[in-house]
Amino acid sequence: MDTLKVRDAKDVEQVVRAAIASEQPLEIIGHGSRRLAGQPMATNALLELSALNAVTAYEPNELIITVQAGAPLADVLSLIDSKNQQFAFEPMDTSALLGVSGSGTIGGMIGAGLAGPRRIRAGGARDHLLGAHAVSGFGDSFKTGGRVVKNVTGYDLCKLLAGSWGTLAVMTEVTLKVMPKPESERTLVLRGLDDVTANRAMTAALGSPYDVSGAAHLPYQAFRPAAGALAGLGAPGQATTLLRLEGIAASAADRASSLGKALAPFGAVEVLQDAVSAAIWSSIRDVLPFAAQGALGAWPVWRIVCPPASGGALGQQLSRDTGGDVIYDWGGGLIWAALPPKPDAQAALLRARVDAAGGHAMLVRASELVRRNVDVFHPQSGGVAALSERVRLSFDPKNILNRGRLLRAVAT
Amino acid sequence: MAIMMPASDQAVLDRRDAIVAALRGIVPGEGVIDSAAEMLPYESDGLMAYRQPPMVVVLPDTTEQVSKVLKYCFEQGIKVVPRGSGTSLSGGALPLADGVLLGLGKFKRIREIDFDNRVVVTEPGVTNLAISQAVAHAGFYYAPDPSSQIACSIGGNVAENSGGVHCLKYGMTTNNVLGCEIVLMSGEILRIGGKSAENAGYDLMGIITGSEGLLGVITEITVRILQKPETARALMVGFAEVEAAGECVARIIGAGIIPGGMEMMDKPAIHAAEAFVHAGYPLDVEALLIIELDGPGVEVDELIGRVEAIAKGCGSTTLQISTSEAERNLFWAGRKAAFPAVGRISPDYLCMDGTIPRGALPKALARIRDLSAKYDLRVANVFHAGDGNLHPLILYDANQPGEMERAEAFGADILRCCVELGGVLTGEHGVGIEKRDLMPEMFSEIDLNQQQRLKCAFDAQGLLNPGKVFPTLHRCAELGRVHVHGGRLAFPELPRF
Repeated sequence: MDTLKVRDAKDVEQVVRAAIASEQPLEIIGHGSRRLAGQPMATNALLELSALNAVTAYEPNELIITVQAGAPLADVLSLIDSKNQQFAFEPMDTSALLGVSGSGTIGGMIGAGLAGPRRIRAGGARDHLLGAHAVSGFGDSFKTGGRVVKNVTGYDLCKLLAGSWGTLAVMTEVTLKVMPKPESERTLVLRGLDDVTANRAMTAALGSPYDVSGAAHLPYQAFRPAAGALAGLGAPGQATTLLRLEGIAASAADRASSLGKALAPFGAVEVLQDAVSAAIWSSIRDVLPFAAQGALGAWPVWRIVCPPASGGALGQQLSRDTGGDVIYDWGGGLIWAALPPKPDAQAALLRARVDAAGGHAMLVRASELVRRNVDVFHPQSGGVAALSERVRLSFDPKNILNRGRLLRAVAT
Repeated sequence: MAIMMPASDQAVLDRRDAIVAALRGIVPGEGVIDSAAEMLPYESDGLMAYRQPPMVVVLPDTTEQVSKVLKYCFEQGIKVVPRGSGTSLSGGALPLADGVLLGLGKFKRIREIDFDNRVVVTEPGVTNLAISQAVAHAGFYYAPDPSSQIACSIGGNVAENSGGVHCLKYGMTTNNVLGCEIVLMSGEILRIGGKSAENAGYDLMGIITGSEGLLGVITEITVRILQKPETARALMVGFAEVEAAGECVARIIGAGIIPGGMEMMDKPAIHAAEAFVHAGYPLDVEALLIIELDGPGVEVDELIGRVEAIAKGCGSTTLQISTSEAERNLFWAGRKAAFPAVGRISPDYLCMDGTIPRGALPKALARIRDLSAKYDLRVANVFHAGDGNLHPLILYDANQPGEMERAEAFGADILRCCVELGGVLTGEHGVGIEKRDLMPEMFSEIDLNQQQRLKCAFDAQGLLNPGKVFPTLHRCAELGRVHVHGGRLAFPELPRF
């Protein structure tokens, strides 16, 4: 396979134009850390962006950073961390789950658009992408958005680029919002709740005025493979419900105390602080209990997004019906499900349940064979699917960019 | 009228009676308005310098009626302009002489309040404030708060991606909506998103929000609601120099503090507001900051102290901290009344809406001062300083020949200056017709073509709200053409593995 290592946006334009002319689809990669996610593609050339790795401008006081799309996520995170700032949406590092090394590039982070626990409070990648330069499937460089937070000039194409898995345009440079890191964090721990009761506890916490920035539940089964990753929690063998409060120390402590009282009907509350708390949330963010190197590494993993208050019942039912394990984040609005292997990754059963709950599901991890046989991304209703396809064609009419990554039908 | 709208289609105008009759067949009774007198309230929106009676006004009250009206217009090649409450400041709802004005004013019902999922499902004609009021008894509210929130509709907020004083901390409309029911120009009814945090597939909700009524007509919206912060307190800080106030804003953000709101007014705005509402504003300062901290009491108290120290470090000349809700509201009263206050000191004013990087604030103000001298027109400045969103109010008298044109030229220069300083043409009011012809200041033809192609995916005939946002209209077939360059995929000069 040809790998075309572009040096700048002009190179990207040239490669895409040549691909149009020769009717050769391109697979777009940064470091390739998420190549195992999505529908398998039939492309025979790689457009590789890792050389576009510069930080164009970092302005901590403006709360923005402009970087080239191939900049390593880890480097950018450590740069903004040096100014005590962060991406508030807690981008997920998919490497442990997918069993690859490295957390990939900024472009990959946006293209996948997978946000962590703080999404319930701070939004997702789509809420933090302020502007982008990208090359469309017409082979033209275009820009959208800007370098300021408040902007309604023209259509907000950034929203489409986030989570588009490289199927609309090749981002070359992006401007992202950064936010101050909280000075302190507390995590309240409730033990022994079943999934539905835990869902109720999280709903109560998120409906309180205490500004909860993480609400997750680990049924006790989820501990089996994750003893190491969740060491800070102690007492494995019991289901654990976690609620995070962040801010200045006095405030986090004050709210932890108030929320603890409000949650008294759900049992006694333990409190974890700062580093211990942070380590646990990063394990949840990266779904370490289902890591590829762990005991469930061979199981396919689904990512289900649903109305948060219905998550507990949905996850519990899925767990019973499939014999799988689940982890809840976003107060029940995000369910990670690792299911015992089947040729279709139990897609039919899972999607029927998820549809009934008003949610959608992506098969994030599965063998190539399984991903060939299953719709990796949630099938959409007729009218929305048709509109989405028209939107895609408005960026890439010749189907050059990541052809077939989102839709099985297009690949065959 | 300085702005050219698309030429009227005489063939459509000739069929007016038949069109009105057909629309009456879809929307019975008083839902179709065709008399000149009754259409008068619809001939303008919040950008009142521009007026145009529509061909006919239709006020449907069900999604099915909206769908049938659009399908009829689609088949007949008739243009449609959607309208909520008509508070747009950029002319987004300005009618077309040969177009149907589709008012959503009858969609006034909140359909569902779901506290467990923290969402409200509402019809688009419900006002922004009414949503907050409907959930206030349980301590919730809807965060985006445009100044017109008492009148503006949530449907219009979605169309314009409206902001407000609190969007620095809580985001704009786009960060607070989860789903919608939308009717495309073809009449097709689609549901996008819902009560989940994200929708499946491409983020269509994200692109619909802020699309200024060019992509579809929204008939239902699902918004996120939040618990009200426990407390809010405000500081009112005066500075002898605008630069010092700008520095104070930068240092607060730099210290990792994100206030609920951070507003700045310059001297003319302070004086106009004080004369109007008597909020106790200091009159001998060049710039006034109102900084609101919200959250748990202990946090607010701590942050008030930190902000006070920063303000003094920047050389503040006056500083007051609210000690009661009444006092906090008084601090805000002048700022919230700034527009009408300026309306009292000038027969007319033009409200601009550019955004700049926060750090460029002093530079932008200096440029605006110079332009004010050049155009010989007064200007009062109010800003959402926290996010760099400027609202210069250009004072003029429409009865003086040429003065309105001068004011518009002044405004255009301010927006050009915003773009030059690294900012954008509009922060929250939308492009509409007002900033349409300035779009090339910020976007190349390629950029604009890509946006118009997206429009084609929703409305291939360009019948929905044409003449807004884009300075030049292209046919979709022309935009969709791919120009093939070169030949084989061969790049000897590129490194390979």
